[in-house]
Amino acid sequence: MSKTIIRMGAALGAVLITMPALSQELTFWSWRQEDRAQYEEFIGAFEAANPGITVNLETFEAANYNTILSTALAGGTGPDLMMVRAYGGLENVASAGYLMPLDTQKVPALADFAPTALAAETMRSDETIYAVPFASQTQLVIYNKTVFDDLGLEEPQTWDELVALSQAIQEAGIMPFANGTATAWQNETIVGGLTSSIIGKDFYEALKAGEADFSDPRYVEALTKLKEISAFFPEGFIGLDYPSAQQLFGSGLAAMFVGGSYELATFKTMNPEIEMGVFAAPGLAAEDEKLVALYYDGGYAANANTQHPEAALAFLNYVASLEFGQAFANTLNNVSTVPGVTFDDPLLQEISELNASSIPYMMLVDFRYGEPSGSVLLQGEVQKLMAGQTTPEAAGAAVTEGLKAWYEPFQD
Amino acid sequence: MTAAAETYYEKRGLIGTLGRDGLLQIILVANTFIMLAPIVIMVFSAFKTNMEIFQSPFSLPDFTNVANFVKIWTQTNFLRYLANSFIVTGASMVCILTLGTMAAYAIARYQFFGASFILMFFLAGLTLPLKLAIIPLFMLMRDLGILNNQLSLIAVYTAMGLPTTVFIMTGFIRTLPSELEDAARMDGASEARIMWSIMLPLVRPAMVIAGIQNVVPIWNDFFFPLVFIQNDSLKTLPQGLTTFMGEYTTDWGVLFSGLTLSAAPIILIYIMLSRQFINGMTSGAVK
Amino acid sequence: MPQLRLTGRGLWITVLIAPPLAFVALFIVYPIVAAFAYAFYDWQGLMRGDFVGLANFHQVLFVEPYASWTRNAFTHNIIVFFALMVLQNGVGFILAYALWRELPGARFHRVAVFLPVVLSTIIVGYLWKLFLHPLFGVVNQSLKAVGLPFLAQPWLGQDTTALWALIFANAWHMVGFPTLVFLAGMQRIPGEILDAVRMETESEWVKITKIVWPLVAPSATVVFVLLFVGAFNWFELPYIMAGLDGSPYGSTDVLGLYFYRTAFGNVSAGQQNFGLGSALAVLIFVFIAAVASVITVRLRAREIQI
Repeated sequence: MSKTIIRMGAALGAVLITMPALSQELTFWSWRQEDRAQYEEFIGAFEAANPGITVNLETFEAANYNTILSTALAGGTGPDLMMVRAYGGLENVASAGYLMPLDTQKVPALADFAPTALAAETMRSDETIYAVPFASQTQLVIYNKTVFDDLGLEEPQTWDELVALSQAIQEAGIMPFANGTATAWQNETIVGGLTSSIIGKDFYEALKAGEADFSDPRYVEALTKLKEISAFFPEGFIGLDYPSAQQLFGSGLAAMFVGGSYELATFKTMNPEIEMGVFAAPGLAAEDEKLVALYYDGGYAANANTQHPEAALAFLNYVASLEFGQAFANTLNNVSTVPGVTFDDPLLQEISELNASSIPYMMLVDFRYGEPSGSVLLQGEVQKLMAGQTTPEAAGAAVTEGLKAWYEPFQD
Repeated sequence: MTAAAETYYEKRGLIGTLGRDGLLQIILVANTFIMLAPIVIMVFSAFKTNMEIFQSPFSLPDFTNVANFVKIWTQTNFLRYLANSFIVTGASMVCILTLGTMAAYAIARYQFFGASFILMFFLAGLTLPLKLAIIPLFMLMRDLGILNNQLSLIAVYTAMGLPTTVFIMTGFIRTLPSELEDAARMDGASEARIMWSIMLPLVRPAMVIAGIQNVVPIWNDFFFPLVFIQNDSLKTLPQGLTTFMGEYTTDWGVLFSGLTLSAAPIILIYIMLSRQFINGMTSGAVK
Repeated sequence: MPQLRLTGRGLWITVLIAPPLAFVALFIVYPIVAAFAYAFYDWQGLMRGDFVGLANFHQVLFVEPYASWTRNAFTHNIIVFFALMVLQNGVGFILAYALWRELPGARFHRVAVFLPVVLSTIIVGYLWKLFLHPLFGVVNQSLKAVGLPFLAQPWLGQDTTALWALIFANAWHMVGFPTLVFLAGMQRIPGEILDAVRMETESEWVKITKIVWPLVAPSATVVFVLLFVGAFNWFELPYIMAGLDGSPYGSTDVLGLYFYRTAFGNVSAGQQNFGLGSALAVLIFVFIAAVASVITVRLRAREIQI
């Protein structure tokens, strides 16, 4: 008798507990408009495993995402779950207290994440993690394998080989590079993707130690070479915006695209037939270590004021799981940060190996904590450089000078 | 005008007149070409594939090829944006014309203390660039709890539309004769009844002018939705267009058909009612 | 008109006037007054901090990098204003004069010149952005097709042409407005005056400068002031065609973009600062109000002298 009552009570309790769960609707914001379909699938898998929770995805234009998100959070109309940027971009949102603080108790899987990945989603002032990092991104050179094979070209080992190879492609009537610099942030990616090996690890260490700034000969050399190689960019590339540049490579009109590993997925969608390869742009000499520029893209965070904190945490645990990381890597062609993920795609496997020799994508990682940000400065200066309005020396000096406004190591 | 022109032609040499008028005609034709060519190319491109656009941008398209439009119809939120624009514009216009006529009627037909001050108050709003007050407006909408809600847009548009409407309507209502009104008052009709049954039917022409003057800027506004609306399903057409252009960046045929579809409603109405549009939109500037 | 005697009528008037008044007070007057107040505070995100006096103004006007950003944007607004004065109002006057002659097809030309005016700036911006594309845009393709490939430029990518491309797109969009305002002004010129002038002179130039231009002065005042306010409020077109950063390297940055970026942040900078944003808004506002009143007073004085 009493057993029955207990059972009934338990059943009733379960019903009462699951009842509100049935109506747990979470909103999830993302800036990856192009990945919408894949995210719908991830969400479907999550909802299947967590009955009673529905996640509604909304995507926004990447360029305005930060503004839209902080505006909404400030207005109290923010989402329950959201993609947030890393580094300085994270701090803008996190410092206002909009994000749920995370730790290894709430999301146990975080314990095994790479420290650099966690650092990207940690606020410096309170040393608290606010998001589950989703992907590392690598700035490098993506090339059209079919074009390279047809012309009998090999991945270059020195800068001169890269120039010669571009020349050969041009002579074959194909655009060597697809890149355009009308969209401001594309000026930063080409620096990371083409010149990291020239900049070198030594420079980055000296920079961090406060012993070098951007007027350093190593950095100026990098900008000089960048300017030289831009002769192989499309005609009128300074007026070419980002989507058009993607289109040139995706359609096979251009043989190389300097950009992030996130581009691979876009190119595959644009042109499923395309065969791609990647390489780290070489240094001046063959023995220089070939480096890519690495950073963490962003993370998944929960709203500090969400109505459904448990459901939101369930989602964050899901996106920190190996199952998600693997699906993320397989379907989005991105280098997931979840430890233990293996890459079916040989390209991703290659990128994860290239990541072993890298320097940080430094303007984003270290110089977006004040106004004017290193990114804004570098983008403007490279745009000027490309238009022939400044010299590499002057550009490096201008970036350094601009950062002096808030970056203490540069203030004498 | 024509009579004056005729005497004029007699006075001057025919050749000189023709030469001058010929030059003016050339200017007009050239300008009309510059005005219309981009719109024609836009419409043509909407029926083309990427390759056709890049290789023969000026050629006549195959107008039966509506693949781009089908894509927009089935794969995007375009209809949603269009419906939202109708809702927001429609609701704003109802509010503007109702409230504007109320205020104008009171100012124009009754003498009361402060009437001219109130008119001045409305007119002050005529010249203020409200965009610059976006930060306090944003905070206000947040405090009212209508951020990310179309009510915020309707409220701002109504407030922005009232000054011109009160200005136009007051001027018009003042010109109406008072005999009818006085007769009705003598018969013991209430003030509300006089306004509703006798005066309002007479102010329709001014309402059309005030309506057109406000409807175009509201339908086309981008700035306030940009700040107030985040939810994709609540976006109006100009704002939705930016989302859409971001998603289909590489498919120019679809981009052009999106632009064509966005422009079509207002262009069609304009062509049908061009006289009213021109009078309405320039009425603030022409006295 | 009936005198206000009955309390019932007073109530009726209040019912009529209070709601519209409340709308204007709440959504226009209050925000503008508040914008002035906000500029004197330090802001942490959306939280208002301490009263800081003129510190925000000082920062946007005199502290780098803000000072040079402000100067840069302001200079561009000035260029835009004067360029549009010629390309939009000047061309508009000529077109109005041509339309005024009522030559065959004038009605059609009138409808055509006003057609772009009814379009959304967003549509116009995207349309011209696609047309000015360096590789596939119809502008460069046409230049190459007619044997002028050296004129094909990355229009929106170089500082020498980007701002001008935006100015051109704006003129294309809006030229119909001054045209028809001027035309309405010309059509009100009494026929007798024109006849009298024709007795005096054969010169078209004299007729325009001595009669037409002075007599359309009221229209000119209005289109000048509207253009001025519009030029210093410029936002949508550069936002769509050049982006929030005023690409390339700030050569299309104008006060509207700069204000929005400062107040609401963007990707590569991302710092959101309502205090500095409000200070900029107040400065722009005061500048517009001051100059617009000077223009109005000056031009009105000219109207009376005639």
